[in-house]
Amino acid sequence: MARSRVEAARAALAECHLCAHHCGVNRLAGERGLCHAGVETRVFMAQVEVSDELELIPTFAIALSGCDLRCSFCITGAESWNPQAGEPLDAVALAAKAQAALDEGARTVMILGGEPTVHLPSVLEIVAELPDDAKLVWKTNAHGSAQARELLDGLFDVWLADYKFGNDACALRLARVPNYTRIVQENLLWADEHSELIVRHLVMPGHVDCCWAQVARWLAENLPGIKANLRSGFWPGWRSARHGELRRTVAIAESESAGRIARECRLNLVR
Amino acid sequence: MNTTPLPKSPLITEVLLLPDGRILVHNLTPLFAALLSDLNPADEQIQPRAARIAGGQNEARKTDTTK
Repeated sequence: MARSRVEAARAALAECHLCAHHCGVNRLAGERGLCHAGVETRVFMAQVEVSDELELIPTFAIALSGCDLRCSFCITGAESWNPQAGEPLDAVALAAKAQAALDEGARTVMILGGEPTVHLPSVLEIVAELPDDAKLVWKTNAHGSAQARELLDGLFDVWLADYKFGNDACALRLARVPNYTRIVQENLLWADEHSELIVRHLVMPGHVDCCWAQVARWLAENLPGIKANLRSGFWPGWRSARHGELRRTVAIAESESAGRIARECRLNLVR
Repeated sequence: MNTTPLPKSPLITEVLLLPDGRILVHNLTPLFAALLSDLNPADEQIQPRAARIAGGQNEARKTDTTK
């Protein structure tokens, strides 16, 4: 199924609408949109990891350079903001490494970024090379377009999706993304209908009430029982210092408060 | 934009040690999970992750720690 979609995905780069920015640039002709990605896909990390959800690990994680968001606190900012980082993607070689990891006990293969949506043609090429019975995880910022969702439909067993900001003002200020709430909610509802979904939220210092509380309430009302992973390991790296409240880690009291909110909303927390 | 080559080491983990004793880890590999678990076997976050080390990499860790 993935192989049959590669050509259509590649052609879509001629007027790119893969993410919800809808830049409409011709990447095939060298134009660049907000993600700065062109035709080439590069990989900045491919290794077995155990830092994700327990039900997914060990996972063979393939991280593609470039992203359509500009989160100041991005833990992989040097690679996520630069699609030229890393090495050129070799789908066959990556699939061979993934197979070796699966043979050694990895439970899943995870494709992430940056944001892998901006490299959908290459993602489809990787998936086409992976064994049919491999459990595949799509790690995303949930800012993809309807076109991207259509190309992804049925390919991944699990959508592991970030819900980073609880309101549009924080999203615009910290990640330069407009209309965030509507778009991420649209993606989460779709993902829940089309695959297994796990929603992640990274607690940010000073953003428990404005962001996490809003996210928790929306999940409780619209995706009751959905698996949610509340992560408290905020790392004040990359360009966090541009924002006063992001110059520190999350206080223990904030982590506890976030946990209380999750319990009050009766969220199905996983770790 | 400059091209950033992949580091020579095939495995990458980043660690941030906080003054209050917390340890933040990014891109936790099986080998590093095992190391952290050895340092603090009671850590509820790390223990189940260290227990899921793929066989081959676990063997590599044993070799390293006995040198």
